Amino acid sequence: MATTKIQGVRIAGIASAVPKTIRDIADMADKFGVEDVQKIIKSTGVERRHVGSPKLCCSDLCCAAAKKLLQDLNWEPASVEALIFVSQSFDFLCVPATSCVLQMRLGLPKTAAAFDVALGCSGHVYGLWIAANLMAGSGFSRVLLLAGDVSSRFASSQDRSTALLFGDGGTATALEKDANAPVLTFSLGTDGSGWKNLIVPAGVQWSRIPRNADTQIRQKTEANNWRSQEDLFMDGAEVFAFTLREVPPLISNVLAASGWTRDEVDYFVFHQANKFMLTHLAKSMKLPLPKVPFSLKEYGNTSSASVPITINSELAEAIRTRPLKLLLAGFGVGYSWAACTAICGPIVAPPVILVNESEAWQC
Amino acid sequence: MEELLEVDGGTLQATVELKSLEQWDSLAFVSFLAMADSKYSVKVAPSELRACKTVGDLMKLVSK
Repeated sequence: MATTKIQGVRIAGIASAVPKTIRDIADMADKFGVEDVQKIIKSTGVERRHVGSPKLCCSDLCCAAAKKLLQDLNWEPASVEALIFVSQSFDFLCVPATSCVLQMRLGLPKTAAAFDVALGCSGHVYGLWIAANLMAGSGFSRVLLLAGDVSSRFASSQDRSTALLFGDGGTATALEKDANAPVLTFSLGTDGSGWKNLIVPAGVQWSRIPRNADTQIRQKTEANNWRSQEDLFMDGAEVFAFTLREVPPLISNVLAASGWTRDEVDYFVFHQANKFMLTHLAKSMKLPLPKVPFSLKEYGNTSSASVPITINSELAEAIRTRPLKLLLAGFGVGYSWAACTAICGPIVAPPVILVNESEAWQC
Repeated sequence: MEELLEVDGGTLQATVELKSLEQWDSLAFVSFLAMADSKYSVKVAPSELRACKTVGDLMKLVSK
């Protein structure tokens, strides 16, 4: 696994935003039956999620998080030199890049670089790696990393393997050049052979599986679920097997590269895949559960937003006041994975921001 | 195994067909992968597990 160490870049702040609208999972009992829903809640740990209407895009959530973060940091938008938007929920399917539109919406200068990165579960940590490398190599001193997804909208409402799991979230992380910043250590990996286990198969007219009248028809699948080629498919067992295989070595690897022991880590902030998986991983790696924060109960699995949301919802007070030794890790869709160790804090970390439908961009 | 399938201790026969067990659902499937990993230190591939027809086949997967 590739590892990288970056010197002189500091995480200055993290903000997270979710739609104000809450959906209780228990409300899905009409559709899937009380017993099934209770069983699923017990396994996933998701009791409710914040879910927006189709009008409220991922970029709107990221924009709200970024505005609050810039304000709290007292950073002029004009001082931001690059914006990275990591997501799989773009405003426009392919053209133009959402990051370009966000440059305008956030009032960043025309001299700023802006680009999109299409990753999910590994996305936030991957984005930190990109941003830190960019700053180390370019002389940029202020970079905004926006990461999030609105995965709830990819799922078929009639598919119990996905409909009860995903929430929406958008986040902003501010990075700054600082000669005294502690080293950031990263470890990353990819296994594209897992491409078909987390996928929305049919895209637009010209994609690998072209969208047509048939691809939107929901068909009955195993276990009495209904979904179309345009809905998200997840093979939970394959994804679970993948994490058992790759996550423990990822954690050992990044710890070894940073020269840290397991015991000196204050918190292991993992991508919030589901409670069953995270609990099993923590046990198998012998990590004490109080050091593994969970935000699934309130927000569900929010893809690349889940690591920052967990920091803003579970660790905000601590990270605002003192340095924490953090191990961040994201893993999933792709398959793609990334981990980072960082001594982080005190930093700007407001509580999770609730976004109204009226804050959607009126283009 | 009996705990995983929510049946009384000592009642599960190796010849029992998995498809006859209502409890053998997708969550039990994943729980089996987790148990194989934590109790037996065996990484079972989902394809191997899918090929199992009886309770005895499951036992063979973790005893190799």
